[in-house]
Amino acid sequence: MSNKSKISLSEEELVLALRRHEKIAVEALYDMYSSSLYGVISRIIIDTAVAEDVLQETFVKIWHSFASYSTEKGRLFTWMVNIARNLAIDKLRSKDFKNQNKNQELEINVTFIDEQRNTVYKPELLGIKDLVQTLKADQKEILELVYFKGYTHVEAADELGIPLGTIKTRLRMAIQQLRKHFN
Amino acid sequence: MEDIKAYIESGILELYVLGDVSPGEKLQVEEMASRHPAIKAELDEIEHSMELFAEANAVEPPAQLRDRVLNSLLTNFGDDNNFPSKHPQPVKDNVIALPAPKANSFYKYAFAACLALLIASVVVLFSVYNKLQDANTQLVALNSTNQKFSSTVNFMDRQLSIYRDTSFKVIKLKGTANHANALMLVAFSPAKKKVVIDMADLKMPANDKEHQYQLWALVSGKPVSLGVFDKDAADSSLMKEMKSVPVAQAFAVTLEPRGGSINPTMNQMMVIGTL
Repeated sequence: MSNKSKISLSEEELVLALRRHEKIAVEALYDMYSSSLYGVISRIIIDTAVAEDVLQETFVKIWHSFASYSTEKGRLFTWMVNIARNLAIDKLRSKDFKNQNKNQELEINVTFIDEQRNTVYKPELLGIKDLVQTLKADQKEILELVYFKGYTHVEAADELGIPLGTIKTRLRMAIQQLRKHFN
Repeated sequence: MEDIKAYIESGILELYVLGDVSPGEKLQVEEMASRHPAIKAELDEIEHSMELFAEANAVEPPAQLRDRVLNSLLTNFGDDNNFPSKHPQPVKDNVIALPAPKANSFYKYAFAACLALLIASVVVLFSVYNKLQDANTQLVALNSTNQKFSSTVNFMDRQLSIYRDTSFKVIKLKGTANHANALMLVAFSPAKKKVVIDMADLKMPANDKEHQYQLWALVSGKPVSLGVFDKDAADSSLMKEMKSVPVAQAFAVTLEPRGGSINPTMNQMMVIGTL
């Protein structure tokens, strides 16, 4: 990761600058959050070109609807990552993308893609090994489904064949583990 | 407190942070967070750890994507129609802020100019008023001297007319033994029955306040009073017309108590002259 010309501001400064529509705010916003957002988007959308489009759309939407963000409702990143995830899921469920996927499905096994994706991302995610060790397998599974694959907890319950309450508890336990880990 | 703990443990906050809640639930969580600091703090913790989790899972997008994204945002800077409606405040503020000081300073200068003009005109008005007063007093003075001149000229005219009038006889009244230096001129016109004395050339001592000179005409040996007069330095009249008398053989002046006497006091006779 090259950090040489990246602009970084405090979250408060960034929010103020974005409200004022300053040019530097756009650059700081991209430099500070593009990789985190792209991490989420590219896990939902495998196709790199499409994921890049979605990242661009995400920033356009953040920029244009910034007036609707308020610091009282929570952290800037939470608001942005929800925009990114929703755009990615919308793209995933759109007709074009489904057709594209179907074509791929004929040739490529989904699990193969998942594996390949993991190998692709591993070198860039050096810290994730610790995380994987911190989280239990079932916690990691549910977190991946909801956070990175855009499943709702109801869909996840269906997918995994476990009750909704258990899903919620595991999700909570997973995030508790993360909190401990980061503290 | 139990309720809050149960609410936190229900896992709804995690779902909220993950964006996996219905709009109704979303509002409920936001309302709970604003009412209970404990929930707000818990939410913050979850958000923070998910942010760190995302950071740990970050994937650097291709370098050329940065320019593409920034260009697509910044090219919209000028011509995006959404901007004014979404951010009307800052734009409006800028527009309003500029003309305001202009107008302010204009009125300030205008007021100062008006004040200066007012002071200047008061000064000018005052000096003009003073000049007018001067001119007025001068005019009054000129008027009075003019009147003095015209009356003097008038008088001279009358005096001249008397000397020109052939019917007038000028009689020289000479001083008596007691007042050898006294001298007086009387003009007498029997035809017009007029007696005029010349005050300018009157050579007699000034009378005091208790006494006055009295002019007498001697008519058929009897003295007839022709009136009194004063020898006064302040008296500016040059000729004085006395009571009329048709005939007279002589004129004389005596010093009498103020107001005159019925009969002349002979030992106080100043001048006498016969025709």
